[in-house]
Amino acid sequence: MEPSLVLPMMEMIRTWSGVSVPNAAARHGLADHLALIAELEALRGSMVFEDEPSSFEAALRDCQEPAR
Amino acid sequence: MNAPISSSELTALSMTEAADAFARGEVAAEALVHASLDRIRALDGKVNSVIRLEGDAALAAARAQDQARSAGRPLGKLAGAPMMHKDMYYRAGQVSTCGSKIRRDFRPTVTATVLDRLDAAGAMDMGTLNMAEFAQNPTGHNRHFGDCHNPWNLAYCTGGSSSGSGAGVAARFFTAALGSDTGGSIRLPATLCGVTGLKATQTRVSRHGVMPLSFSADNVGPLVRTARDAARFMAVISGHDPKDPTSAREAVPDYEAALTGSLKGLKVAVCETYFCEGADQPVLAAFEAALAAMQAAGASITRVKAPSLKAINAYTAMVSRVEGAAIHANWMREYPADYAIHLSARLFGGYAMPGHLYVEGLARRGPLLRQFVAEALTGFDVVATPTVKTQVPTLAETDIDADPANWHRFMAVSANTRPFNYLGLPTISIPCGFDDRGLPVGLQLAARPFAEATVLRAADAYQQITDWHRRAPKL
Repeated sequence: MEPSLVLPMMEMIRTWSGVSVPNAAARHGLADHLALIAELEALRGSMVFEDEPSSFEAALRDCQEPAR
Repeated sequence: MNAPISSSELTALSMTEAADAFARGEVAAEALVHASLDRIRALDGKVNSVIRLEGDAALAAARAQDQARSAGRPLGKLAGAPMMHKDMYYRAGQVSTCGSKIRRDFRPTVTATVLDRLDAAGAMDMGTLNMAEFAQNPTGHNRHFGDCHNPWNLAYCTGGSSSGSGAGVAARFFTAALGSDTGGSIRLPATLCGVTGLKATQTRVSRHGVMPLSFSADNVGPLVRTARDAARFMAVISGHDPKDPTSAREAVPDYEAALTGSLKGLKVAVCETYFCEGADQPVLAAFEAALAAMQAAGASITRVKAPSLKAINAYTAMVSRVEGAAIHANWMREYPADYAIHLSARLFGGYAMPGHLYVEGLARRGPLLRQFVAEALTGFDVVATPTVKTQVPTLAETDIDADPANWHRFMAVSANTRPFNYLGLPTISIPCGFDDRGLPVGLQLAARPFAEATVLRAADAYQQITDWHRRAPKL
């Protein structure tokens, strides 16, 4: 049975993005979002006020191998 | 005068073997290209790895290399090596389909920096390769150019999205191919086809003139036969490019010089959290055998846990899908029927993901990279995992277009590769065995940022004590 979140999500996508559901597989994929939502729910609160996207490049540089 | 080399002996040469034989004057570039073209024309009807073959142009370029050698002019590092590339690397004025109907007639006005660098190194470009539509599936299905077939067993997936790159290198059609990797698209076909594939550190290789999929996670890299091939290829394509402001300015080391051939003293972390959970038994058996071989050759093996992987995996899915949805929004509104079912279905989900979670996914990326390095790479040189948890699936059982219920089997293929795109770490996949059906299994090795030399050294040393990478499918 299709989860209840699928139809409202389809409507939200159409409203925000102008994209209509293309096929049955897309509905199947939306239903699969339940698992991802649960994973992200478990992460709530992990982002802190100072976090910013640009920190990734700095982390790449900082995490290099120590000089041998 | 050496004895003439047969066509099958020529196509059996790896990229570095071909380039070295050419440099020594043992083979002609024209003979190498001829042998590749003959093999493709004879056998690619089964595999379907090629989109466009540029035989005449490749032969003309080969003759120019032969003349340069005869005249004593300097030769490039890749001179004489026949190659083809995934059909998403732009060459000005030539069609680049991106594996799609939408771009079937697209002619870019720029040439990819990586193609310019390969040309300058003397590589013989013979044309373009099949791929997942817009580089967006992990299996190798393509509704517009036909599915690509695994040379080890034609009913099975090649892995994607660089399907033609993996299948063609495995089939000995050419010595090397560019792939691209946003969630595993180099390492998956490398694994499923039994070849070597390297995804470099995020920003290590220029993306100028390359079809975008996810700005945060796209990577350019090679599929080849050996780690030594990958080392030489990477030396040519790596380094800052003024045309790609996101490309890193870190110095590019001499990767080939770093290949010591020894595993002595290598510290290997085995991260069983997530990467081994739920893996198929034949995959785990080959993986454990690879670890045992490394240990016997002098490496130390330590089991570690990485609790950060739960968050990494969730944000990985979020970031790449939102970026893919954004890039394709105009076409998804105007030409939705021009996409394959499995692709429009995947893209559609990206529009449902909230913006604040996308920003959170990007913002957590730096802290999570630091956390993963602390958990799994502090005190270790590399992290080892199976590249793919499952045995190679068939094309039929991962065909979402035929049955949406195949969704989970389809998505499971890239479970172990995706996290390293989010983390941005250099990661290689090399063959480490075959399952009971005669299909390849892959070993994935990752290291700290910009430590491509470390993963190449470990992979090359493993290939010195095993012969999995030398086995070829019978077509």
